Amino acid sequence: MLNIKNLEATIDNKHILKGLNLDIKPGEVHAIMGPNGSGKSTLANVLSGKNGYEIKGDIKYNGESLSELSTEERAQKGIFLAFQYPLEIPGVNTNTFLRTSLNSIKKARGQKELDTLTFLKLVKEKASELGINEKFLSRQLNVGFSGGEKKKNEILQMKILQPKLSILDETDSGLDIDALRIVADGVNSYKNKENAFLIITHYQRLLDYIKPDFVHVLSNGKIMKTGDAELGIQLEKTGYSNIV
Amino acid sequence: MKQNYDFKIEKIKNLSPEEIILRKKNLALFYQTGFPNKKDEDWKFSDLNSILGKNFNNISNNDFFPKERGFKKINEFEHNFISLLNGKLISTNFSYEEKNKISLDNFDYKNEPFLENKNSLYFLNNALATGGFLLEISKNYKLKKPLVIYNNFSNSLKETIVNYKNSIILNENSELNLINYINNSSKENFMVNILENIKIKKDSSLNNILINNSKCNCYFYKYLKSDLEKNSNFENYLLSSGLKFNKLDIEINLNEENSKSSVFSALNLMNSEHQEIKTRINHNTPHCHSYQKVKNVLNHESKGIYQGKIFVKNIAQKTDAYQLSKALILNDAAEFDAKPELEIYADDVKCSHGSTSGSIDLNSIHYLKSRGIPEKEAYQMLINGFLCEVLEKLSDGKIKNFLKEKLERQINGY
Repeated sequence: MLNIKNLEATIDNKHILKGLNLDIKPGEVHAIMGPNGSGKSTLANVLSGKNGYEIKGDIKYNGESLSELSTEERAQKGIFLAFQYPLEIPGVNTNTFLRTSLNSIKKARGQKELDTLTFLKLVKEKASELGINEKFLSRQLNVGFSGGEKKKNEILQMKILQPKLSILDETDSGLDIDALRIVADGVNSYKNKENAFLIITHYQRLLDYIKPDFVHVLSNGKIMKTGDAELGIQLEKTGYSNIV
Repeated sequence: MKQNYDFKIEKIKNLSPEEIILRKKNLALFYQTGFPNKKDEDWKFSDLNSILGKNFNNISNNDFFPKERGFKKINEFEHNFISLLNGKLISTNFSYEEKNKISLDNFDYKNEPFLENKNSLYFLNNALATGGFLLEISKNYKLKKPLVIYNNFSNSLKETIVNYKNSIILNENSELNLINYINNSSKENFMVNILENIKIKKDSSLNNILINNSKCNCYFYKYLKSDLEKNSNFENYLLSSGLKFNKLDIEINLNEENSKSSVFSALNLMNSEHQEIKTRINHNTPHCHSYQKVKNVLNHESKGIYQGKIFVKNIAQKTDAYQLSKALILNDAAEFDAKPELEIYADDVKCSHGSTSGSIDLNSIHYLKSRGIPEKEAYQMLINGFLCEVLEKLSDGKIKNFLKEKLERQINGY
């Protein structure tokens, strides 16, 4: 599904990714761990098509070169990034945003757009699965939401948009144990043979709830080590310094 | 502007000899300075003389006797209406109300005193005004439905100026939701010059909305003077995007205790549109509130201006006055000028002002795009969110939705 070869990324003359290789197949859950400043969020930003990066190397998504695609086209083709810091958008109602988003994707895929009633039914169902109070949906997008509410809202978006590749950028940061479990349940219930996850995290604790097939250690812009779920547990005990 | 305007009092029918003399005096006063230009401090950001000079070959007046003609009414909510064509009162409908509680007539030029605003457009209006209306709401009467004033203009107003005066009186403990609806899509340049006097008596409340319905080559000026008595409330919502030129010159006099006023504005300016909101809020007495929030989005080579003055008289203790202007500038060729002014002579007051301008937040755009929303739509969503916020305080849900839809159309370029 995703094949990254020798990826380099530079921003403001800072060379951050220095030859990263990664292959993700449908049905797989990959975790990327690493110390601060290792390039984890840069990888997420580059995959989402954020402007400002100078990129070398090759990223293929289902055989198609990602560099040719705009951010919205990537989303329309099934790439989803749960933001580390979801943005507050004043004046934009959460429901309106969700519907515009879902219908933009449906439209781009040549599918029938959802009418208001069908959409509201869908969003209500998904929100209740995540324990999100309905009144949040009529509030301005992320405005005044707590850290945990913002992260839950990202997972809600994922469940509504049904992406093929979900990138979770430190979704666990700022979550208490209960919220962490709800988020993890949200991910686990969406996991299937067709879709894949790339989970970026500092800590093992999210991986206690979402079992990864592969754990990669990112350091100094490269993947230094790859292992299975055991690697994450080992890292928690010994820290990064023994590995990188 | 080169002196190519051609104004004739003789074109106005049915004037008494005294009126002709008074109007000629006013016309002479206008000719002393011509249209306002940037040398006048109040017009330093809107040099009307040069704007008209660039866009008009000639401007003349006329006295209109238009026949009634059909026009499209708002069907989103039930309402009373007054329809004007080129400023002349054409038809009215107050079918939702008790008839004897509302008095409506043509503006009475013989008995109504002229307002005192000493710019040359004021003199020109005094000289040439015909039409307009006088609306009075009886004591203790609260209108059941909103009142829409359809300001229609005929498409034949090529290089013509339309001048009229309105007067609105809300007697004690009355209430009115007023929607000034400008409806015209003329490709021809024409100008409108309105003087309006509003009196809001004790315990009364007026919601005053101005909305422009379609893009047109109208050069619009309105001077609105209002006087508020004890416990009265005056809220203004200004949504005039789409007019080629617009200057709203608003004076609010808080003359008695516990009166409240607000001015909310949301403008999305495109191409070479030029719009100015100028306010003067006079706190003449203690314990009054005023609130202003002006938001502009500037595309292409448009220009937006906000000159907001708060004046607090020495006796006006416990004044609470606030003004804020925010602008989003989307193009290097666009311009926004803000001139906030506070003139305070009392010492126990709460007055604050702020002004910000900047570009759109690209991280927010990225966020929306990452959810599959195309870039153009992402911009429109953010602009919409930015502007719609000024409507939040409107209590009537139907009107609020109506205005939101209109605003969205304005943002999408009609």
